[in-house]
Amino acid sequence: MTDLEEMQKELDKIKLQEEQLFEEMKHFVNQRSYVDAKIKVLSKVLPTLKSLKVETQDLVNTIHNIAESAEGISNKVRTLDCARNRVDECQQRVADLIDVGLCSEGVQTAILNEDYEKGAGHVHRFLSMDQSLLKQSATDIENVSSVLKAVGTLQDAAGQLRTIVQHKFDEAVRLEDLASVERFFKIFPLLDMHDEGIRKFCNYLCDKLRDTADKNLQTALNAPVTDKRHHVKFADTLTLLFEGLARIVDIHQPLVETYYGPGRLMSVVSFLQKECDTQVKLIIMEFQKHRQLQKKINQISEVAKMSSSSSFSKLDKLDPKELDILIQEITIMHFRMELYIKFIRRKVLADIEISVLISEERNNQILQLDKLINASDLSRRKHDLLSLYLQLEQYFMEESVSKAVGIDSTETAQQTSSMVDDTFFIIRKCIRRAISSGSLDGICAVINIACAVLENDFCGILRGRLKQGYPSGYLDLTQAYNVLQTSIQHGRLQPSDTEQIRTAFLIALNNADASTEYVETLCDSALGDVKKAIPNMNTNEHGKLESCLSGLSSVIINLKDVMEYGMQQLRVSVIKPRISPWVDSFLNINHQLNDDELSEYEAGESFVQTLIMNLDSLLSSFKDSLTSANYDGLIKILIGEVTARFEKVIFKSAFNRLGGLVLDKEVRSLSGYLTSATTWSVRDKFTRLSQIATILNLEKVTEITDYWGNHDGALTWRLTPTEVRTIMGLRIDFKQEDIQRLKL
Amino acid sequence: MEDFKFLFKVVLVGNAGVGKTCLVRRFTQGLFPPGQGATIGVDFMIKTVEVDNEKVKLQIWDTAGQERFRSITQSYYRSAHALILVYDISCQPTFDCLPDWLREIEEYASSKVLRILVGNKIDREDREIPTFVGEDFAARHNMYFLETSAKEAENVEKLFMKIAEDLMQQARNKDLSRYECSTTNITARTSSVNDSSCCSKLT
Ligand SMILES: Nc1nc2c(ncn2[C@@H]2O[C@H](COP(=O)(O)OP(=O)(O)OP(=O)(O)O)[C@@H](O)[C@H]2O)c(=O)[nH]1
Ligand SMILES: [Mg+2]
Repeated sequence: MTDLEEMQKELDKIKLQEEQLFEEMKHFVNQRSYVDAKIKVLSKVLPTLKSLKVETQDLVNTIHNIAESAEGISNKVRTLDCARNRVDECQQRVADLIDVGLCSEGVQTAILNEDYEKGAGHVHRFLSMDQSLLKQSATDIENVSSVLKAVGTLQDAAGQLRTIVQHKFDEAVRLEDLASVERFFKIFPLLDMHDEGIRKFCNYLCDKLRDTADKNLQTALNAPVTDKRHHVKFADTLTLLFEGLARIVDIHQPLVETYYGPGRLMSVVSFLQKECDTQVKLIIMEFQKHRQLQKKINQISEVAKMSSSSSFSKLDKLDPKELDILIQEITIMHFRMELYIKFIRRKVLADIEISVLISEERNNQILQLDKLINASDLSRRKHDLLSLYLQLEQYFMEESVSKAVGIDSTETAQQTSSMVDDTFFIIRKCIRRAISSGSLDGICAVINIACAVLENDFCGILRGRLKQGYPSGYLDLTQAYNVLQTSIQHGRLQPSDTEQIRTAFLIALNNADASTEYVETLCDSALGDVKKAIPNMNTNEHGKLESCLSGLSSVIINLKDVMEYGMQQLRVSVIKPRISPWVDSFLNINHQLNDDELSEYEAGESFVQTLIMNLDSLLSSFKDSLTSANYDGLIKILIGEVTARFEKVIFKSAFNRLGGLVLDKEVRSLSGYLTSATTWSVRDKFTRLSQIATILNLEKVTEITDYWGNHDGALTWRLTPTEVRTIMGLRIDFKQEDIQRLKL
Repeated sequence: MEDFKFLFKVVLVGNAGVGKTCLVRRFTQGLFPPGQGATIGVDFMIKTVEVDNEKVKLQIWDTAGQERFRSITQSYYRSAHALILVYDISCQPTFDCLPDWLREIEEYASSKVLRILVGNKIDREDREIPTFVGEDFAARHNMYFLETSAKEAENVEKLFMKIAEDLMQQARNKDLSRYECSTTNITARTSSVNDSSCCSKLT
């Protein structure tokens, strides 16, 4: 610190520190008054705190005391409770003992007076007592013998009453005294005879059921053929049976529930089911006999054997029409069975729901219910009936479709023939009938069968007709003539038949197209109908149905294949042979024009005008006889052929600037014409041709860069660089070295 | 064409009680159901597996073996890509019925259907059909052969995976040839199967 300046600096620093210290001190002084005030307040509070502490201690003590006495009280209450329970029990036992006395006195009188309800009431009271406890109480008191005697009396009376009630019930049944039957039915549970009561009562109900069912079946068997329900009389009889059963369940279920308690329906139903099975068996046996089912099934399998060994003799073939009504009756029967089973299941489930509270036990009972239903003869017969239905329905569908094909005919000016409408009418009918059976498995199977009939038989027929080909008339004249000649010689063909074969070909093609729409509608409507008929399908059932329906809708793929096959026939026999000479005439035209020649060419009928005219007349000969989809298909093929051929002849020609100009115009008008001829866009098909014309219409070689490359004006080329160079080479005024120099 | 899904229909047939339902449940749900009741009609289950990083959907149709359901079950043969014919190695009659089943298959199924013979219940001690007998039968009828146990989960996964792989292979070959020869590519509204196309694509 030799330097003055440094000393000065140090001084400044110290001064600054001094100032800071001063500030801090001032702050402390200010705080002091605040702290003083606080201390004053606190010192005032201090004595209060002391007394608070004492009081709190008091409070704690008090609470402690209260807790102790509460504990004491609750102990006492517990003892009291216990005592009261004992008193209650004691009272109960006393009451029981008194009742035992009263009941034993009353029961005999009641029996003597034939007041069985009262007697059974006494016994019920007696039975509701804890028997072991009763004996114990009896030994506890002095008057042992009197109590034991009363118990003995009651036990005797119970036995007596049981015998009497059974006997009386049987007698009532014999006398058909419905009131007494119900009277004694209600007494059984009072005597702890629930199972016996249910069994006897169900036997009674079954007897009644059997009588009615017998009568109904006899009436049906005796019904004259003229009866207007003769054709469904077995279905009617079955319906009556199920309605009777359902009524029994509906009427007696509340009775059983009231007097026997809930949870008894399963055993009621299992008794009834036995009788139901017996009656169903009788009805079905008569049905099979009277409708000659075995014979029909035999005939059907005969036919199946015949056709598979492909020897087509006309044996006694069953007319599908004859089966129509029978199949309908079977579906009604099946539906009724299904309905009844569902009814029973719903009823018993509801009963289980209210009577069984533990879910495990409930599931157990539901399992038992399903077992009962599945193992019943009714279920087995239902399955057999469905199997029968499917055999008949399959035969019906196959034969009806083959008949529809056999009588196929076309109204004039119709694009399709009757076999399409007829076939899909039949198939829709069969599917609807399957739906009316109420069985999803049945529905799915019929959809599968329909799918097979359409893919194998129906598409096969259409394909077969297309295989005959489309006789092309003018161009293959010699060839067609030869075919005709040989055919006429063999007596197979009349000259006018060419026209007929053509019509048949186009109609087959249209039939395939119309069928695709039919299939689509069929799938949609079937899905809707099934959803309506079976509203609560689970996801699995839904998946099953949809999978089968998607199989049906895949028939469309087959139909499209058939259409494609026909289109290729047309391409080979009609389009290609005619288009070629028309387009080839391009080769006879001068494409190296001067101005005069240009105006002369444009004044006359140009190449493209003639071509369009020819195409137009060709197309118009098909326009009315093809469906719009087929017509579009035809145009697609035509465009393919025209553009391909056109390309070929262009590559064989040489152009100058004006020749290129004319070509560009002509390609434009051709594309314009064909665009207007159809509903869908054909521009795409013309892209290559248009690009060729564009190249040939260039002013000079380098102009190609306006269209080629990576800029806004560039085209998406369908031509390879090599092709572009080749096309440019067709211009006689383009120098080969200029073309080679291009960077493409 | 790269990322399409395949859908194959696999149908199980064979006598009642040979364990078709148990095989399907073992494969689709990984369990052996106690007290499995007889199948009524047909049951339907779906499981998606992966083959070569491709999702393959197996639609499995479990048919009832009881005679009375034959008209229902027969209607499913035609569209099947694979048919699994099952017998019970501890029950001679189920093996003796195999020729009958083959006759049914000949009559109703597509000729190109993949056929697999399965001897089930190999966990049982009371075997009646030695392995070589089953093997021999399968070889004579041009079928794959596998012995399984639905109970012990033996070969069940392998069975279905083998089917998925084979069908996939078939479909790929088919697809190649189909795309080579045909000019038009028809896409169906809903995918499914028929005789001429062995697989269906869900794009
Ligand atoms: N030990 C053993 N038992 C099996 C096996 N697979 C099935 N079972 C038993 O065989 C019985 C029948 O099995 P299901 O799967 O119902 O037979 P299914 O072929 O589906 O019978 P249907 O539906 O009537 O055609 C059941 O009791 C099964 O427990 C197995 O691998 N080993
Ligand atoms: Mg099963």
